[in-house]
Amino acid sequence: MKITLVKKIKQDGSLCKKCEEVQQKMEAAGQMAFIDEVLIADERDPSSPGMELASLYQVERAPFFVVERDGQPAEIHTVYFKFVKEVLNQKTQEKDELKEILNDNPDLDFI
Amino acid sequence: MAENRLNTVDLDSELSQKSPEEIIEYALDTFDNIAISFSGAEDVVLIDMAHKINPDKVQVFSLDTGRLHAETYRFIEKVREHYGIEIDVVFPDSNAVNQLVREKGLFSFYKDDHKECCSIRKIGPLRRKLLTVDAWITGQRRDQSPGTRTSIPAIQDDKAFARPDDSLTKFNPLANWSSQQVWEYIRSNNVPYNELHDQGYVSIGCEPCTRPTGPGQHEREGRWWWEEATQKECGLHAVNIKQ
Repeated sequence: MKITLVKKIKQDGSLCKKCEEVQQKMEAAGQMAFIDEVLIADERDPSSPGMELASLYQVERAPFFVVERDGQPAEIHTVYFKFVKEVLNQKTQEKDELKEILNDNPDLDFI
Repeated sequence: MAENRLNTVDLDSELSQKSPEEIIEYALDTFDNIAISFSGAEDVVLIDMAHKINPDKVQVFSLDTGRLHAETYRFIEKVREHYGIEIDVVFPDSNAVNQLVREKGLFSFYKDDHKECCSIRKIGPLRRKLLTVDAWITGQRRDQSPGTRTSIPAIQDDKAFARPDDSLTKFNPLANWSSQQVWEYIRSNNVPYNELHDQGYVSIGCEPCTRPTGPGQHEREGRWWWEEATQKECGLHAVNIKQ
């Protein structure tokens, strides 16, 4: 299995806030050890490796994870806690999961 | 789940040309286990449309955050009686609410932001409910928030709430409708509506986080007005991806 993490650099050259938060969480939890490759999706450069991967898999948010297993189509994970639970088989806090869902889907607060 | 996974991207280009009634009809025909999310506001039109299309298949749920206006509770009850339907009123986890209130009080959202409270009182119960269905229907519209709803599709693959290794389909039949179209429908079809709308409320949520809006104000200004407009932080700009 190969896991690729794609982080986004915004138009102003800074790392996207969520990418930063996810990376910090992953480092604190020792999860970066499971990541084989980290690619940058630089919004200023459509040919940057992360942007190319985003285009290939039609991903529209960052960070995202590409999980490749032998003989199987690549899996794309855009929800960090689901990636942690379903790919890394680790536990997550419900409070953090719910916050992530709302942060990723700001339109939900109108529901 | 009885249905095969749908290609929602292709379907969206087709369904986004259809009327809300046609989208709802497609949704009800395609899924047996499907529910309408009803907030107690003008999304009542979804119930009216679905009831006319297939009254036996209308499954409705409402999120009772515990902080709704008394008028909204009365309206939910009125809708239940008017259409003769069951409304599954779902509640937040009492332990989570208890912990939040004990640690931060009853109005923490004015000091922090509304997300912590919303995640406990809305997103938690919403997720619990959505784990029990294969598809859901919302009243989300593009014109509700210029910042966060401009790209709402008619149909989407809801990855956030899907069961593990399964899919959940989300329908937004009103995505292309304006507030004016919704209200024209309500009036011309004599659909019951929340009495708060007559008091100047355009968007209706929890009582502490909702206020009436004045002429010329966007409905978003009636919600969480003490916070700055939220910006979508982590979208990968499609323009760049497509280049």
